Amino acid sequence: MKNTTHFGFKQVATNDKQSLVRDVFNSVASKYNLMNDVLSFGAHRLWKHYTIASSNVKISDKVLDIAGGTGDLAIEFRKKVGDSGQVILSDINAAMLNEGRKNLTNKGIFGVEFVQLNAQQLPFDSNTFDCVSIAFGLRNVTDKDQALKEIYRILKPGSCLLILEFSTTDSVLLKKFYDFYSFNIMPKLGGIIADNEASYQYLAESIRKHPNQETLKNMVLDAGFDFCEYHNLSGGIVALHKGIKV
Amino acid sequence: MQSFAIFWHKQAVILERALNHLVINSRVNIDALNGKTIGLSLQDLPLDVHFICANNRIFVLSATDKSTDVDIKLKSMIFISLLQGEDLTELLRQDKINIHGDAKTAQLLVDLLKEVDIDLEEMASKHTGDIIANQLGKLTRKFNHIGTQSNNPFKIIKDGLSTLLINPIKSKRYKHKNS
Repeated sequence: MKNTTHFGFKQVATNDKQSLVRDVFNSVASKYNLMNDVLSFGAHRLWKHYTIASSNVKISDKVLDIAGGTGDLAIEFRKKVGDSGQVILSDINAAMLNEGRKNLTNKGIFGVEFVQLNAQQLPFDSNTFDCVSIAFGLRNVTDKDQALKEIYRILKPGSCLLILEFSTTDSVLLKKFYDFYSFNIMPKLGGIIADNEASYQYLAESIRKHPNQETLKNMVLDAGFDFCEYHNLSGGIVALHKGIKV
Repeated sequence: MQSFAIFWHKQAVILERALNHLVINSRVNIDALNGKTIGLSLQDLPLDVHFICANNRIFVLSATDKSTDVDIKLKSMIFISLLQGEDLTELLRQDKINIHGDAKTAQLLVDLLKEVDIDLEEMASKHTGDIIANQLGKLTRKFNHIGTQSNNPFKIIKDGLSTLLINPIKSKRYKHKNS
C-alpha cells in the first residue's frame, strides 16, 4: 500500500488526504469553537491555558501558531509578546483562518498576522521564531516528520515547539469511557449541533491513529530537537509535547 | 511514586516561570549561561531536572539522557540532609554525591537561583487553580516536614541547590577530580 496514508480509519491516497481534511474543516469551521466547548466540556480552554503557561514566550518574541484555527493560542501569544513582538496565526484551511480573523476582530485583538500555509513547507527563513505551537493540528498533517523538520528549521536556537494534541490514556476505565464517548456520543453531538456527524466520526478516528506520547516524543527528537518532554493532561487524553532546539 | 513525579513536575514548571520572570524583568543577566545545560538528579526518586539556558531564557526539563555541562547526582536522603545543613565537603569525602562538570557554570546558576523568591502556592494558583494549588501546597508541606520546619519549601530547595553547587568549587576533592 505504497503512497497511501490514513484518513481516520480509512486508507487513502497520500495525495488525497490534504483535500479530505480540508473538506472536514470547511464543514465544521463556523461551529468549531462551540463544538470544542461542548465536546471537551470546556476543558480545551484549560489545556490551551497550560500550553501558554509552558511556552516561555516573552515580550518582543516571534511566535508562529500552526493550524491555529480560531486563534485561541494566538490571542494569548499576542498579549505576551506585546507590540514589539510578532504573532502569526496560520492554517492550511482558508475557512478556519477566516474564522480566526473574525474571532480576533470580535475580541478586539489586533496586530496578529494571518498566513495560509502547509506545515510541511513553511514559507519562513531558518532560525526565525522563538516559539512555534500547533494545537490539535498535527494529527491532520499528512507527513508529520516533514512538518516537524520544517518547524525545527524555522525555530531559533534556544526556542521551543509546543504540540498540544489528543493522545493515549493508560487508564483502563478512562479508556473505556473515552472510547464509548468518542465513537457513540461525539459524532451524534456533531450531527445535532453542527449538522455534520461524519466529520466528528473522523475526529474520533484520527485521534486513535495519532502516535502515542512516546512515539511522538521520538519523532520530535528525530526531527533534530535536542530535548523533548511531554506532560499528560486529563489522564493522557491530551498531551503537551515540548521540544527544545538548543 | 507517581504523585511524587507529578509533584516535582509541577515544581519544574513553576521554577521555569519564576526564573524567566527574573530574566524578563532584567533582574538578572544570563548571557554567560547561554548554551549551558545543568543537571540535578535524585538517584532513588523520579527527580531528574535539567536547566537549559539559551536565547536569553531558561528551560527546566525533566527526564533526559543528554549530556550536561554540570551534572549532580545524589540520593534523596542525602539531598534532604544537605537541605538541613549537612556539610557538602564531608558528603563528597564519603562518596555520597557525584558531581561532574564545569564549576563556573554551576556558580552562575547558583547566583540565578539565589534571586528566585516565590510563594509556591500563590504562584501555582495563578495557573492551576486554587484547588490544585492547595493540594500542591499540602504535598509540599508534607515533603518539607521531612527535612525542615520552614514554610517556604522553595527557599529550602534553593538554598540546598546553592550549597550543593557552590561548595564543589571549594572542595579539594572536586578540584582533584577536575585537575
